Amino acid sequence: MTAISAVLPAARRYESPRRILAVTRLHFVNKFQILGLPMIILGGIFLVNLAIWWIIIDSTGGPTPQNLAHTHLGYTGAVSYIFIYTLIIAVQAISRTFPFSLGFGVTRRDFYLGSALAFVALSLGFAIVLTVMSVIEIATGGWGVGGRMFAPLYFTDPSWLLRFVMYFCAFLFVLFVGSASATMFVRWRATGLTAFFAIIAVILLGAVAYFTLDHQWPAVGAWFTSTGPVGVTLWTLLPAVVAAVAGFFIIRRATPRN
Amino acid sequence: MTTVVEANGLTKRFGKFTAVDDASFSVEENTIYGLLGRNGAGKTTMMQLLTGQQFASAGSIRVFGESPVENASVLGRICFIKESQSYPEDFRPKHVFASAPWFFENWDAEFAQRLIAEFRVPVNRRIKKLSRGQLSAVGVIVGLASRAPLTFFDEPYLGLDAVARQIFYDRLLEDFAEHPRTVILSTHLIDEVSALLEHVIVIDEGKIIIDENADALRGEAATVSGTKASVDAFVGARPVLRREKLGGLTSVTLEHLDSADRKTAVAAGLELGPVSLQQLIVRKTSIPETEFGAQS
Repeated sequence: MTAISAVLPAARRYESPRRILAVTRLHFVNKFQILGLPMIILGGIFLVNLAIWWIIIDSTGGPTPQNLAHTHLGYTGAVSYIFIYTLIIAVQAISRTFPFSLGFGVTRRDFYLGSALAFVALSLGFAIVLTVMSVIEIATGGWGVGGRMFAPLYFTDPSWLLRFVMYFCAFLFVLFVGSASATMFVRWRATGLTAFFAIIAVILLGAVAYFTLDHQWPAVGAWFTSTGPVGVTLWTLLPAVVAAVAGFFIIRRATPRN
Repeated sequence: MTTVVEANGLTKRFGKFTAVDDASFSVEENTIYGLLGRNGAGKTTMMQLLTGQQFASAGSIRVFGESPVENASVLGRICFIKESQSYPEDFRPKHVFASAPWFFENWDAEFAQRLIAEFRVPVNRRIKKLSRGQLSAVGVIVGLASRAPLTFFDEPYLGLDAVARQIFYDRLLEDFAEHPRTVILSTHLIDEVSALLEHVIVIDEGKIIIDENADALRGEAATVSGTKASVDAFVGARPVLRREKLGGLTSVTLEHLDSADRKTAVAAGLELGPVSLQQLIVRKTSIPETEFGAQS
């Protein structure tokens, strides 16, 4: 056995920033999966919505485009689809791409930071798309038929900038809470995840019991009303940041399954 | 010779199960190592420890002189191809080959293209839809074209046909000659790869039982056969790896026979036969008959 081991070259090529960005790019290498497919499906849902609005207006002869906008028929929850898709992206990004990246010689730290960067970029991109569509939707009087898909109930703030902030926060919330759950799965497998959801259920049940027994529900309602949609969305940043930080520490000790 | 990997008292326990048990060994630069052993012997765990994927319960690991755990400068020089590698959802081989160069600075895209053609990997098919052999080929191509200074292949060719396996051996040797690097290969197909291996580490129930130069290992063991009396006389106190009886003939497998021993055996009218690496390892990792007899 030789006394001196091979010494690492002083080259700066192995520096983390380069590898963090490589992980970010890795999440986007399958462009169709992460960008193409969700946009195609969103576009498809939009066309179906347009058709339904048109059918309602045309067949009933009842609501005109003007008053469709004032009925709840005009609102659809269709845009929630993309949040579900985003949640799945977050979970798979951790559960599948994590063990893959380790084989490519990536540290857990660089993997997580690169993934977090990808999540922020994805939130930004999707929020821009939804905001642009909402601006067009409002400008065209709901696509000419009074429909509301991209500026639905909760995202009706007249300022496009605030709508953008709300969408951005909502995506960050979904991506980081989803990925934090996935880090728990990677670290502690199904047992850990089940235990975690059991704890969350107990906490929620406790909160419901407290508000109900103490007759506090009006106060809860009042908080939501006074905080407003923008305020409530900004509050979701708190759990998002907690999840992001927790995910980092959980994955630092995670091991890939054999 | 420079040491690339150095493990001392390396131990990994999963609950009560000890997957790697007090293993100490070193790996020299620019050598092809075989990490051999039975299923569940601890080969994969050992590789995961050396690549920082698992955390050791005890002992120390030095890879390129440093601990590999969460060490970007060490891991940046490692490629680990695992038989059970999971791929990101809906990935196709083209996505793997497109992203690999971002992680491996020595990546040779031309070499990768050549290998893709030779292994006939359908780059546009979803990885989920690939056959077992095609899936293995994707890993093998990444492992070869990445030219990482330290490359691990864990059972890299499950499902590969004989032609594909031969391509793998040939390309590995060719490329190794031009771009020397350290390769650690775990496999069941010991005889097939024995020509590739320069050094053999055999692990059984988490313990390292052989750590030797492959040529020395092949050359030293032999079977000695003849009548029971003359074989017993020759064997004396030597440890016997395996004893077989066929009619009046007795045949034993012995290790560490030097040329003087061999002359003595021939002079005593005994017949010497070669032992392949695979036979030797099978005999070392199963219970020898003498011990078996003593236990029952």
